[in-house]
Amino acid sequence: MLRENNGALAPRPRVDMRGITKTYGPIRSLRGVDLSLAPGEVLGLVGDNGAGKSTLTKVLSGAVTPDGGTISIDGEEVRFNNPADARRKRIEMVYQDLSLCDTVDVAGNLFMGRELTRSFAGIPLLAHDAMHERARIMLQGLGIRIPDTHALVGNLSGGQRQAIAISRAISFEPLVLIMDEPTAALAVAEVEAVLEIIRNVSKMGVSVILVTHRLQDLFLVCNRIMVMYEGTNVATPEVASTSLSEIVELIVGHKFEAASARA
Amino acid sequence: MPRVSATEAASLRYVKQSFWKDALTNHPGVISIAVFVLVVATTFSIITDNFLTVHNLLAVLRQAAPLCIAAAAMTFVITTGGIDLSVGSVGAVAGVLASTAMHGWGVPVLPAIMLALLVGACIGSVHGYLIAFQGIPPFIVTLTSLFIYRGVALLLTEGYSIPIPSDSILAFLGRGWVLGIPMPVLLAGATLVAAYIALNHTRFGRYVVGVGSNAEGVRRSGVSIRKVRTLVYIWSSVAAAAAGLILTARLGSGSANQGVMFELDVIAAVVLGSTSLFGGRGSIVGTILGVLAISMIVNGLILAHVSPYYTQIATGLIIILAIWFNTWLLDRPARRVG
Ligand SMILES: Nc1ncnc2c1ncn2[C@@H]1O[C@H](COP(=O)(O)OP(=O)(O)OP(=O)(O)O)[C@@H](O)[C@H]1O
Ligand SMILES: [Mg+2]
Repeated sequence: MLRENNGALAPRPRVDMRGITKTYGPIRSLRGVDLSLAPGEVLGLVGDNGAGKSTLTKVLSGAVTPDGGTISIDGEEVRFNNPADARRKRIEMVYQDLSLCDTVDVAGNLFMGRELTRSFAGIPLLAHDAMHERARIMLQGLGIRIPDTHALVGNLSGGQRQAIAISRAISFEPLVLIMDEPTAALAVAEVEAVLEIIRNVSKMGVSVILVTHRLQDLFLVCNRIMVMYEGTNVATPEVASTSLSEIVELIVGHKFEAASARA
Repeated sequence: MPRVSATEAASLRYVKQSFWKDALTNHPGVISIAVFVLVVATTFSIITDNFLTVHNLLAVLRQAAPLCIAAAAMTFVITTGGIDLSVGSVGAVAGVLASTAMHGWGVPVLPAIMLALLVGACIGSVHGYLIAFQGIPPFIVTLTSLFIYRGVALLLTEGYSIPIPSDSILAFLGRGWVLGIPMPVLLAGATLVAAYIALNHTRFGRYVVGVGSNAEGVRRSGVSIRKVRTLVYIWSSVAAAAAGLILTARLGSGSANQGVMFELDVIAAVVLGSTSLFGGRGSIVGTILGVLAISMIVNGLILAHVSPYYTQIATGLIIILAIWFNTWLLDRPARRVG
């Protein structure tokens, strides 16, 4: 399929996943899924509950190792055995369950796994002040106002927690940003803010995968929408050439078609 | 009415608190155990004549030293959401091994001490491997070790107690005084300072809290949580070995029966100090206070001439009351929200 909506898009996809499979016990969560993503592209990922969206994105973020299939980043084939491997390729993910530590404060969560330290008598000690200062600036830069970076994350509201998970991912300056239902717990104004963040990072060349059940949001920020059904991808229409009702049909309609076809 | 976003409203609703109010909101458990320690100290000062003397208080601290060392390490274990039931038995093996090595095999004192600590590290590594890499629950792994190593200690001594030379460094570590302070107290103090720094000011401590709070989240952050878990059990066993050595040194001989039920004192002290058994929350200051509370209760009840038959019952009851009070305090913020 030819695309000419953005001249800046490189010919080679930044992410190219082919035939990804993953089985959990008796459940074939992914049954050979293809996904390709251009630099700066925003790809919506939709599907019924249990379609395999989270599993597929976790494969790309290294949190789940696939049983089969290949992943290429900028044309180079890679194997991710853990999230650290994916991070090295500058792939970041905001997980559906956020992955925050409730009993650690805001700055501690933002810097989890890459704490700033200063040497004291040869011992690397946490640079608490520097981390709180950087955390404050980081949040401010994204227009997120958390009153105190010393607050324990467990005491924050659902929206504030989500904002922290997103800031954390963005602060790694990723090339690929995966967001699994980042707006699930957000009020109207905060959803708007997240969509704005997505537009901004995509303008800077970051490729974004947005998993969401809020279909109307997809039409505001995405280039293409990939529809998953029972562990496979069924269609990936361009936003410009599709409609809300077609997407709904792809998510729901295919279910009956496919079920009757197999029966 | 002008609309204000939730985050803006949150910053409007944020009230700067005084140091004490802040301490009470963030560390209610530590404050409450501190109050409890004061109440215990005051009570025994009133009902006994010689509780509040320098001599007696130093004796309390000297007695408490092994408990302090093991409890400092146990704070890390419990903060990851784990437990180590083997510390009493591991301590006995260490004490017995060092005294047997010196007395029976003619090993010099320093290698004997090193051997005991090294065996502690090996035992901890096995725990760490089984728990972090094989996924066996810590309760099961360390419960079996509680049996196994008590048995090993009995096997080594064949039931005898084995004296250590009273002029050796080991004896000095258990019974010596430096600058008017007993050696065990100095060792415990150094351990506590190190533990405090490790828990609050190093990456390792941050990951220990993180593993107890949301292990999968920490793993996704690129941290090797298996390494963190393994290290925690290694330190626990090394600390248990050190505690056992100090106990042996103080008693003057290694015995297979030393430190029976020691693990329960250790766990009680840590939990009393507001470290959460569910993980994610730990406090070294709380642990120090928990150790003080338990040691002072035991000492005070003896000074008050309470029959030793009642001491265990009274200690247990006082601890459960204190923890009940603590739970009530810690629950309050949740209740306010809900
Ligand atoms: N760790 C796991 N163990 C067992 N089964 C799993 C696991 N993770 C996912 N599955 C199964 O794989 C399938 C796909 O799950 P996944 O979480 O990817 O769906 P999803 O599309 O993200 O759904 P939702 O919209 O509800 O978030 C489901 O049937 C689920 O039960
Ligand atoms: Mg999901």
